[in-house]
Amino acid sequence: MSAGAVEPGLASLARGGELADEELKACCADAYANPAVRWLLGEELHPGGAATTLRTLELAGLRPGERLLDVAAGAGASAILAARELGVEALGVEYGERAVEAARADAAAADFEASVRFLRGDAEALPVEDASFDVVLCECSLCTFPDKRRAVAEFRRALRPGGRLALSDVVAEAGALPAQLRGAMATVACVGGALPLGGYEELLAAGGFSLARHELLAGDADLFARRIEERLRGARLLGIGPPEGAPLRVEQAIDAVRMARRAIADGLLGYAILIAQLSEPARSQT
Amino acid sequence: MLGATESICPRCRRVLDAQLIERAGRVVLSRSCPEHGAFEATVYGDARRYAEIQRFDKPGEAPRERQTESVAGCPDDCGICPEHAQHTCLGIIEVNTACNLDCPICFADSGTGHQEHGYSLSLEQVESMLDSFVAAEGEPESVQLSGGEPSIHPQILEMLRAAKTRGIPLVMLNTNGIRLARDPRFAPALAEIGVHVYLQFDGFEEASQEAMRGRALTEERLRALDRCAEAGVSVSLAAAVERGLNEHEVGAVVRFGVEHPAVTGVFFQPVTHSGRFRPESDPLDKLTNSDVIEAVAAQLPDWFRSEDFVPVPCCSPSCRSATFALYDGEDLVPLPRLVDVEQYLDYVSNRAVPDLDVREALEGLWSAKAAGGSAPVAERLECIACATAMPAELREVAARGFMIVVQDFQDPYTLDLRKLRKCCVAEIAPDGRLIPFCAYNSVGYREQVRREASRAAPAGAPR
Repeated sequence: MSAGAVEPGLASLARGGELADEELKACCADAYANPAVRWLLGEELHPGGAATTLRTLELAGLRPGERLLDVAAGAGASAILAARELGVEALGVEYGERAVEAARADAAAADFEASVRFLRGDAEALPVEDASFDVVLCECSLCTFPDKRRAVAEFRRALRPGGRLALSDVVAEAGALPAQLRGAMATVACVGGALPLGGYEELLAAGGFSLARHELLAGDADLFARRIEERLRGARLLGIGPPEGAPLRVEQAIDAVRMARRAIADGLLGYAILIAQLSEPARSQT
Repeated sequence: MLGATESICPRCRRVLDAQLIERAGRVVLSRSCPEHGAFEATVYGDARRYAEIQRFDKPGEAPRERQTESVAGCPDDCGICPEHAQHTCLGIIEVNTACNLDCPICFADSGTGHQEHGYSLSLEQVESMLDSFVAAEGEPESVQLSGGEPSIHPQILEMLRAAKTRGIPLVMLNTNGIRLARDPRFAPALAEIGVHVYLQFDGFEEASQEAMRGRALTEERLRALDRCAEAGVSVSLAAAVERGLNEHEVGAVVRFGVEHPAVTGVFFQPVTHSGRFRPESDPLDKLTNSDVIEAVAAQLPDWFRSEDFVPVPCCSPSCRSATFALYDGEDLVPLPRLVDVEQYLDYVSNRAVPDLDVREALEGLWSAKAAGGSAPVAERLECIACATAMPAELREVAARGFMIVVQDFQDPYTLDLRKLRKCCVAEIAPDGRLIPFCAYNSVGYREQVRREASRAAPAGAPR
């Protein structure tokens, strides 16, 4: 596979191991920078693609001239989209070094070097000033963060008074999911670490946010899973196996995605946009 | 209203201003002749999709040579005239008018009996027509010998060989399969020359066969296909589709084709009403590409969705749509699920194309010069797969790409001159003119060529 060798974190998943927090972060970053994964998921790497991103930003009331922080920005598609469509200034923070380089190159290619910047950094220790953004965007990523409370506290710190948090993420009734959709591998795939809607609400409340509104995107979740299933079947038809040491065989991956589609149909798994506001006064933070 | 264009009066053939309008979700071509009154015809069954696919309109490329001058104006100067906006992807030579069937739906007005202005071309004539095609195109990519029934022409093998020796990669024989079924030496002879067979194959049911072809043909077609498989001849199934006759069989034809070892693709053609068929039928009820695509998707829901069929960008977007599918005997996945084909073949939206090599490869596939399973197609599939972060060992697998094409030809009722000017399928006339296929059948060129050819080389004359 032209994607090259498998990163150590992914290889350790293949052995069925659990990962330390730093390993898990690296593993997620590597997975989503991998060309094969981007081929499977699409460049936006989340359900609904650009349309979901724009809807999320619309619900958050992002206006031209405001400052946007995109946490776990990946290869920068959403930050560049926001600058192009909404005329905002954006900073993307991303854990993976390669993704940051790719994002910078894309911003330059799209002539948005001046208004869209990218920094390497950890969502749990954001490399930004206090109270410096109007909106924090975090798409399909909070569910993968090992310490979600710290990440939420960082979102709060980055926002100026009156700022909004715009999340879109996997929602899951984790306890009701089959075992194959839990564990470290499933966490990297955004399913294992996902919370039910109420779980996000509690997490946000504990971090000093109040949930202003939410929208469930059941159709987008299934379309996303369907695309992955079809591309995996295409890979199988073309006789493409995963590289040596990859965590899953194609056949197992197809089974897992089909299981996820059943869970989506049963309402146990889905995708949602959540818009939260800073609650005043701030509650105690952990 | 969806747009303004020009059409003709189906009676007197004069050119008229015309409107494309939306009615009950369908696209209707409407115009009025001062002498013969108003005429309307359905040209696309899904108005929403019709508007959406206009972005798959690739700017045309000029041919190397044009054979005629602009004198009377489109569509009366065909051949190709300076007004034409596209070169020719596929050339068709009708070598005779005689046939061993009398199909009620024949647009070429061929048959077994005496032919009014019937003709049978000589090998020398066909060679000179091929030379004209080569002169016009430089390196033409595909030619189809048709008729009448070309397989009953005594020199058909020499004619096919003449096309091959001129370096045309895809040489097709358009046949009803009767000779292939009856003559065990015919398929091996085609294999030896390297001919791709374009086999009339509309469905399986006797009632629809009777109505469309005059008699049941399934047994002979199956024998013809088995002989092709045995000889190593690749075959595209060509299915005429008519409302109320065999539209319910399109799924069965695809399923059969995908499973048969000789078959590399299926071409669906809504029946044109330009010949002798159903002159009384209402042009507003005509079956169109979107109707056939929806029928395939509805009859094979586990395999296809309507969106898998992407317009071919070299001709007008509502003329021809195609898809390719990968199949391993169990699972089938259409190529547009693996590559964002629509994104690559969009010539209007102002978006950066991620990879120009992939666009070029896809243009090679989504083209009137492609047939499933042919070598250039296999190479292009390989290239596409490479560029989407897949490995290189695909040559053998890519050759399994199964092609499905839906091609709507125009008749005097549906003729849209704006579309016609971008037509990339041409009838090659004995005098070397390249006449866009839908002009040939709608404007009077067929009758003209036939009169001239029958004077020069009447059918039944000693050859």
